[in-house]
Amino acid sequence: MTAAAVTAAGDIRRRRTWAWITAALVLAYFGATYGIAHGTIYTQGLISQAMIFAVLAVSLDLVAGMTGLYSLGHAGLFALGAYTTALLGHAGWNIYLLLPISIIGAGLVGAVLGTLSLRVSGLYFAIMTFIFSLVVTVILQDFAFTGGLNGTPGPIYPSLPSWAIFLGNPLVWTIAVVLLIAVTIVWSIRASAMYPVLLAIRDAEPFAAANGVRTAAIKIGVFALSAGLAGMAGWAFSFSGYISPQQFTWTTSVNILVMVIFGGINTRLGPIIGAAFVSAFPIVVHIDPLVQELIYGLVFVAIIVFFPGGVMGLVMLVIHRLTRRRSGPPLAAAAAGDTAPVGHVEVEATSSPPRRTGSEEYALEATGITFSYVKGVKAVEEVDFRVRRGSVHGLIGPNGSGKSTLVNLVAGRLRPDEGTIVANGRRIDRLDAATRPAHGIRRTFQSAVLVRDLSVRENVTIGLYHRTPNVAGRSLVWPLLPGALRDHREMRGAADTALQTAGLAASWNGARVADVPHGVEQLTQLAAACVGEPSILILDEPLAGLSTREIEQVSEILNDLRERGVTVIVVEHQTHFIFSMCDDVTVLAAGRLVVSGPAEQVRSNERVREVYLGQ
Amino acid sequence: MLQVLLSGLATGAIYGLVAMAFAIVFYVTRVINFATGQLLMVSIMTVSGLAAVGLPGWAAIIAGLVLSTGFGVGIYFGAVRPVLKVGRGGFAWLVSTLGVAIILASIAAIIFGPTSRAFPELLHHESVRIGDASTTWQELLAIIVAVVVLIAFELFRRRTLFGKVGMAISSDPEMASAIGANATAYAVLAFAIGGLLAGAAGVLVGPITYANPYLGDTYGIAGFIGLMIGGIEKPAAAMGGGLLLGVLSVLANTYINSQAADWFPFAVVVVVLLIAPHGLFASGNLFRRWFGRRGNVATMGTRA
Repeated sequence: MTAAAVTAAGDIRRRRTWAWITAALVLAYFGATYGIAHGTIYTQGLISQAMIFAVLAVSLDLVAGMTGLYSLGHAGLFALGAYTTALLGHAGWNIYLLLPISIIGAGLVGAVLGTLSLRVSGLYFAIMTFIFSLVVTVILQDFAFTGGLNGTPGPIYPSLPSWAIFLGNPLVWTIAVVLLIAVTIVWSIRASAMYPVLLAIRDAEPFAAANGVRTAAIKIGVFALSAGLAGMAGWAFSFSGYISPQQFTWTTSVNILVMVIFGGINTRLGPIIGAAFVSAFPIVVHIDPLVQELIYGLVFVAIIVFFPGGVMGLVMLVIHRLTRRRSGPPLAAAAAGDTAPVGHVEVEATSSPPRRTGSEEYALEATGITFSYVKGVKAVEEVDFRVRRGSVHGLIGPNGSGKSTLVNLVAGRLRPDEGTIVANGRRIDRLDAATRPAHGIRRTFQSAVLVRDLSVRENVTIGLYHRTPNVAGRSLVWPLLPGALRDHREMRGAADTALQTAGLAASWNGARVADVPHGVEQLTQLAAACVGEPSILILDEPLAGLSTREIEQVSEILNDLRERGVTVIVVEHQTHFIFSMCDDVTVLAAGRLVVSGPAEQVRSNERVREVYLGQ
Repeated sequence: MLQVLLSGLATGAIYGLVAMAFAIVFYVTRVINFATGQLLMVSIMTVSGLAAVGLPGWAAIIAGLVLSTGFGVGIYFGAVRPVLKVGRGGFAWLVSTLGVAIILASIAAIIFGPTSRAFPELLHHESVRIGDASTTWQELLAIIVAVVVLIAFELFRRRTLFGKVGMAISSDPEMASAIGANATAYAVLAFAIGGLLAGAAGVLVGPITYANPYLGDTYGIAGFIGLMIGGIEKPAAAMGGGLLLGVLSVLANTYINSQAADWFPFAVVVVVLLIAPHGLFASGNLFRRWFGRRGNVATMGTRA
């Protein structure tokens, strides 16, 4: 209680400091803008262009870096905003009205592109957006209304009213504000609880879906947002003079991607640094344009080949080296904590059969389930699988008996060909995997699929995604919302508690998953499933690769879950563990049900001994 | 009609060779080599340049093919292998091969200047009459080369152990190397064949287009679109896509207007991608694939 109050107070103090720093930065940013707006035409042009490309790079990093979708269509979306503004501006539309039109228009096109291509794959998305870029160029070149190859002059940006004339060039101010908006949105998402979720979509899609993340919808939404930002860049760009198709070819799309990778993909400053470098390079370096093109190509192949992390990757490497020399490897400290169990390990629990718990009511009822991966070969055939509420239910069978298939059917990764699945009184067999957590179902995977770039704690917060209201929507302005910050704090706190319950020493919480041993990874996965307080928890081979001590830990977690009344389904090969821990056991063989019932009864069943236990 | 079909197939043969160059590389390494069009340009420029200094046509052509093949292998070692080592999941190869495309085009422009140059005549431009249509030996040669390449590749893939191992590598590189297949050798071979096919396409199209450092863009994109129409998963399908694209472009040119060849391919590829995302010739019969699929969408990601 007091500890919580102390951290809360510390949090408020820290937040105040951050607010001050942010305010100072924004002020400095506007100060710099003031300077540029009074600079020479050359400086203004150079920096305005760099800022517009920074908007594009930041928006591309949102899809490419955070969500793993390599869009090659950003030049096309950029063109959409620019041409919409230019053409409608000539037709007499108000240019401020054209800003939302450009953003929403490009956003909608992005949503359509995303919907069409993401049903297939990430590579297909890159190809589809590439072709979109080509199509846009062709439309701009070959149709009269766009001005053809010659392009069209952009609308003239209105001058400032007399009281504000001291600000200087209004277009510079406008572009500065546009960049600020883009950066605010993208950085907010980075700071929000949405960030781990996006990385999970990128690196561990099944894990994200198992935690209730509608991955397809979010991918489309993120791309639509990024497209809208590109449209906004196009709006601002249209005022800078003549616009023509050559400015928006597929090479521009590639250039934007190069900016992101050059500066450092999935970093805050990287895309901005990259945009500044790549867009200023041809203007500042005065050499033969052909040689310049060659140097440009060489630099960008060299970067991707030798420094895949880009400029920011190099910077981080240097910082890492410096700090490590000072404070020693951070991992050594974490490793010292180890997975020391909490002390009172009841070894008894693993050897003597527990009292049979659970009510007579079924939490999960799967009836007549049939499923085949390939036509004609049934992986699961007419299986009935009933799990009593509050019981720990073991699911065993030889390899290929259909255990994992059955689990995937219940968790929603697969859909049965025949049969019904009812969980907590609701029929769920036709629902997506991502909607099942809302019906109280959570699962773990045989081999943990977590986000390796994130910390153990952040991975566990993904488990709270569907219980926290409107994370996706609020993430756009996350740091500005006190409620969101409070929720985030609570999510982290709940994650820490869940990790503690899972028996992990607190020193692991901040470690990157890529750096932790397998056992810690498995327990993290378990914590991520438990933190959402499911009513039905499915554990797919939770003991795979665990040490004896970690297995005891899992037994304890199971007992704890049992006490809390959670229905647990355990798929395991270790029959000793199953028969000592479970109330009921179901045995499958060759896709068919062998027997299902109280553990003792199943253990003494003739056929089970014959088929599975080999006795 | 026969006339349209013939000149369409001749154009399509070039697109098909480039598409196949893309597809063979993708087939083995899961990488799209975006500098494929530039390899075509390399062979055209080499042939044109060497012929201009007095080398006989056949020697210039051999040199052009050797160079485009060599550059193909060079791309693998310089721009693809290093980034694949970092991680197979990302799309770093996409950026690095596009970078190579820029480098090759600018080097060619620096050496030869950005304008078009003469290309030695391969075969006579005399017209040949087939039925009531007329064509040139040049065009017929392109079609013949495309057909020979297609048949040779399919025989190689299906009938030889080498080809079968290539299939294994394409479906699971780690497993294939676990059973002793040398994935690197196959990747090098794929990039070499890709370079050779692109180079051959260059030699075949050079007499019509003349030599220009920026040809790579035009034919690279056309070949890529042929690839998308046919299907990226099978080199033979890519060739089919290229041929179809050629015929459709000529049809559009003849029956719509002379500008149609610019935008028509894009209209075709968009329609194809919408109705059959994996390409028209991707896996057996398109209609069987459509109607054979049950409403079981959720099974898609399970084989992983």
